[in-house]
Amino acid sequence: MISDKVYIEIENAWLKFRIYKNRSPALKEAILSRFKPKPDIAEITEFDALKNINLSLRGGDRVGLVGLNGAGKSTLLKMIVGIYPPKYGNVHVRGKLTPLIELGTGFDAELSGRENIFLNGALLGRSYKQMKSLEQEIIDFSELGEFIDLPIKYYSSGMHGRLAFSIGTIVDPEILIVDEIFATGDAHFVNKATNRMKALFTNSQIVMLVSHDTQKIVDLCNRVLVLHKGEVINDGNPKEMVDFYLKEIVA
Amino acid sequence: MVLSQENSSNINASANLSAEELIAQNLVKPKSESFINFLKRSLFELSNLKFALTSFVVNSLRRRYRRSVLGFAWSLLNPLTTMVVMTTVFSLLFHNNPKEFGIYIFTGILPWSFLLDSITGGSLSLVDAEGFLKKVYIPKLFFPLVIVSTEAVNFIFSLSSLMFLALALGMHLSFSLLTLPLAIAILYAFNLGSALFLAISTVYFRDLTHITRQLLQAFFYLVPICYPLNVVPPKYLFLFKLNPFYYFINLFRIIICDGHFPQAKDWLIPSAIAVIVLFMGFSLLKKTESDIIFRL
Repeated sequence: MISDKVYIEIENAWLKFRIYKNRSPALKEAILSRFKPKPDIAEITEFDALKNINLSLRGGDRVGLVGLNGAGKSTLLKMIVGIYPPKYGNVHVRGKLTPLIELGTGFDAELSGRENIFLNGALLGRSYKQMKSLEQEIIDFSELGEFIDLPIKYYSSGMHGRLAFSIGTIVDPEILIVDEIFATGDAHFVNKATNRMKALFTNSQIVMLVSHDTQKIVDLCNRVLVLHKGEVINDGNPKEMVDFYLKEIVA
Repeated sequence: MVLSQENSSNINASANLSAEELIAQNLVKPKSESFINFLKRSLFELSNLKFALTSFVVNSLRRRYRRSVLGFAWSLLNPLTTMVVMTTVFSLLFHNNPKEFGIYIFTGILPWSFLLDSITGGSLSLVDAEGFLKKVYIPKLFFPLVIVSTEAVNFIFSLSSLMFLALALGMHLSFSLLTLPLAIAILYAFNLGSALFLAISTVYFRDLTHITRQLLQAFFYLVPICYPLNVVPPKYLFLFKLNPFYYFINLFRIIICDGHFPQAKDWLIPSAIAVIVLFMGFSLLKKTESDIIFRL
């Protein structure tokens, strides 16, 4: 079922990062600088993290992003999610969005796995009722069993990852934003998680995927953007784009 | 597929323009939003996070007393110790009746701790939330709100427990206590406004959190918390009335200590201060909302 009520529209979006030599000037300097004729320009360097991004996505779009480290792939995802507002231009997003950017954000080491399910779900914008009905499903999927009531600081990193993955992926979103999600854990769980991701990909209206695994991108996407130094330099068929990226940019 | 082609041609057309040129061409409109719309949007965004808000508050309360034998009783014992020490010292100093003076002190100390903890905790709330803010989208208002709400719950608990103690000491129950929720709401609004304003300012000037601490420490002695106002020479009285904190503490004194209904001006002055501070907090948020993340 492709819905036309779900979309991402980005028009002429620019994102600038400012790098402060002195990130937050002491009060003294701030007052003193008022009396200086010109502020020290060298104190701040600006660079364009994203340059003039235009993108229009509708239901059915499976978009892969490829580019070198620092090309702006994750930044673009974070702009869509709303973490970084664009300096110029507009970003419109409509639809229930699940960002799988960093799993386990907001985990509290002192709290039990069960309590963290609720806390983490709440941060993803879910209600108590919804979490209550998903609780058992999440615990079952994570296979944590009786460990679920233990503070998560006693968890191994594999258990930690399993819990985070289970919470993040339990609901089918309308828009799925994925930044290099690798399920951790034993072979059995990785297998299960891969199937779960496949199901999410099929059930979501729009998918945006950042990955350095170009084969995965070709397999899963029907459109690929090539990002380079904050710009979309090529856009089109996955196979062609990945070839372009590997030949023109990586090489 | 048609859409994507349109897009790529669009990119080629404007790829060489600088951002400033794009604005000049009116392709990109700078965002403008009225204050009322901004408030509406902020509250709407928060309404989606109601459950997150309660979980954060409950968890920070739990964490505070986790693994301690007395648990929540600490929130009662902490102010109680201060109160006992102060009552002993100052009733000797001012020759007051310790029972009455004890009630006087606790009606000062508890609202003051609520204020102090909200403001000092709140001022670091955004700086401390960097890890969250850079990983998930959460409205900035959320973090000061969590701190102030946590302190509010703590305040209400310790206030009601100490009220029982005060009853045992011989405090008279009065109908004025029914207005207590309103007084708490006014102080809550003031604390939220201050916490929000300082949280944002601290992102820009990190020194501010230390300055705030020092100033509040000084204010503790400028507000008649541990001494009665009548020991102040009348010619200096106006200095005390210039102090905004005085009016909030005074409200609680009238309701609990004196057992009177506060008069119109006793309500209006703190409410006006609270509204002004809230307005300042929200205006600053509106101005800096999209910049804060780049300064963390």
